[in-house]
Amino acid sequence: MDLPAEEEQPLYSQRPEWADVVPLEQYESVAPLAPIFYTDEYRDATNYFRGIVKSDEMSPRVLELTENIIRQNPGHYSAWQYRYKTLMALKSPLDDELQLMDELAIKHLKTYQVWHHRRLLVQQTRNPGPELEFIANSLQVDTKNYHTWSYRQWILAYFNDDALWSHELDFVEKMLESDVRNNSAWHHRFFVVFQSGVRNGDEDRDAVVRRELAFVKERIAIAPNNASAWNYLRGVLDHAKMPYCELQAFVLPYSLPQPPLDTPPEVVDLESPLPSKDAQLPCVAAVEFMADIHEAAGGGDLVKATELWKSLANEHDTIRKRYWEFRIAESLKTKSAGDG
Amino acid sequence: MTTSLLVPQHVAYIRALGDSKHELSYHLSAHLKINAVYWSLTALLIMGRGDALDRDEMIEFVMSCWDEEAGAFSAHPDHDAHLRSTLSAIQILLMQNALNRVDVDRVVNYILSLQQPSGSFAGDAFGETDTRFLYCAVNALSLLGKLDKLDVEKTVAYIRRCRNFDGGFGAVAGAESHASRVFVCVAALAILDRLDEVDQPTLYWWLSERQLPNGGLNGRPEKLEDICYSFWVSSALSILDKLTWIDSSELEAFILSAQAESGGIADRPGDRPDVFHTIFGLAGLSLLGYPALVDLDPVYCMPASIIENLGLRKGWKALQRRTS
Repeated sequence: MDLPAEEEQPLYSQRPEWADVVPLEQYESVAPLAPIFYTDEYRDATNYFRGIVKSDEMSPRVLELTENIIRQNPGHYSAWQYRYKTLMALKSPLDDELQLMDELAIKHLKTYQVWHHRRLLVQQTRNPGPELEFIANSLQVDTKNYHTWSYRQWILAYFNDDALWSHELDFVEKMLESDVRNNSAWHHRFFVVFQSGVRNGDEDRDAVVRRELAFVKERIAIAPNNASAWNYLRGVLDHAKMPYCELQAFVLPYSLPQPPLDTPPEVVDLESPLPSKDAQLPCVAAVEFMADIHEAAGGGDLVKATELWKSLANEHDTIRKRYWEFRIAESLKTKSAGDG
Repeated sequence: MTTSLLVPQHVAYIRALGDSKHELSYHLSAHLKINAVYWSLTALLIMGRGDALDRDEMIEFVMSCWDEEAGAFSAHPDHDAHLRSTLSAIQILLMQNALNRVDVDRVVNYILSLQQPSGSFAGDAFGETDTRFLYCAVNALSLLGKLDKLDVEKTVAYIRRCRNFDGGFGAVAGAESHASRVFVCVAALAILDRLDEVDQPTLYWWLSERQLPNGGLNGRPEKLEDICYSFWVSSALSILDKLTWIDSSELEAFILSAQAESGGIADRPGDRPDVFHTIFGLAGLSLLGYPALVDLDPVYCMPASIIENLGLRKGWKALQRRTS
């Protein structure tokens, strides 16, 4: 039953059909320490809620009452719990409930209960397809909402249906087209590709790694100063146990202060897309990456690593000066251990 | 632009929370009330003003949140018990030297009953699981001296599953790394003496990357700074003994600039203050060695002396307290 929030509804205390319920005031045993002052509507609704909880009532009007409370205060977790129990007791049509939740969720995306309630409902309906669509829509409103992405992962893992998984890469790509810096989308991609089993067609793991490296390199070329993309690159290499030096040719141009000289158009290195002309260079993450390559190489390369760390500490990433000084100190320890 | 800590104003702000008649936001936060009391008391203790709120009233309020059916504490009288509220209750009573009011056995049973087969913890009977609740459970059991009742291997195994490719931790296995969950997982591992589960170089780097050019800290890559990360990130670094990597003068300046002239700290400069950001801003300042503040234990987010007296101090390091 729809209860438009804007319309004036009489208080429950004034509704004859609620006259049989004994409302219970908020319990305050002592002069309240941090007294909560209620609006009349909220006080009235929660008084009646306490009344029906006491008598253990689970009826359609309880659904109306809990909806009222949730609309005023989505954080009232007892109301959510009781609503769910009532839905189960009444064997209410859960698809209708999900539709109602669609409306509430958009308004209250940052509330845990909204998502948890959906989780409970979908476990009953066993119909995950529309949920993915709902999640995609709500992500249009709040693209990095932590609960929303987590809920999407839960749906995929819980139902573990190839048909559901198969659209995820396209979905992530679309999200990144809107915002290539969406860390949640990058994380989701890693989850889908590397942390949730192997799907049909992806059995050749080397091919998957090559595909992912190509994907992230292209995105770095579009917007180099993007921590999420560089984190993803490192994640893929670490997962595949590939040494960072294999990416040296790609990373090097991003670590230099000037854009590369114009290359003839017929020479396009697909393995190493270049930064665009208006990219802000050097890219800090690329300098870090080159330093890691030199550090891993050891020996004489440690001097190059140190130079790069110094440039970060003193010029390009001064807020992390102490961290870069730590890296320099650590490598000196390694060097002297090696020399000794 | 404020460049010093407005202690009297913050004390007044916290005391006034009890008097506030105006706002809708106060009635909507009944489900957080006991947490708000814990935040308020801890903030006052950091400023050396634990006396500013009435001790007896506070203890009676906490006891009025006891849920006799569940054997634990809720956020507000007549609300259902929750793990988060139970931890806050224990912390408040400890800080008020009244822990003897707690029925320890019942509370321990409640906490343990919320552990799932996966090793994660639900927050309450409703079933939402989150590593925040795992931390609440481990912290509470530790403060009650009942950590031996916990299946440590099972708990640690779940934390391990929440560790991501970037070294960070998420709310559940597979979820994105977030500084708040990095804090709860690292702190829980510290309590359990299992910091070996941390992917050290990667996590250290991930944490130090949270600092933005404006000095503030964010919670995940490419997101905005927020004062609460002054605590989540700083405490994690301090537990890992890497707090020196933060540019502390920049972070301090950022926290101070988020103060409201009339008291309280906001999520970022210019916004309205609230008690949540007030405690975490103050906690950050304490860890950074800001003068005249009381030492805070980052693992438990409580005064360090109380934790030390319980024999629970772990190997964390804050910055040295400056004299001026």
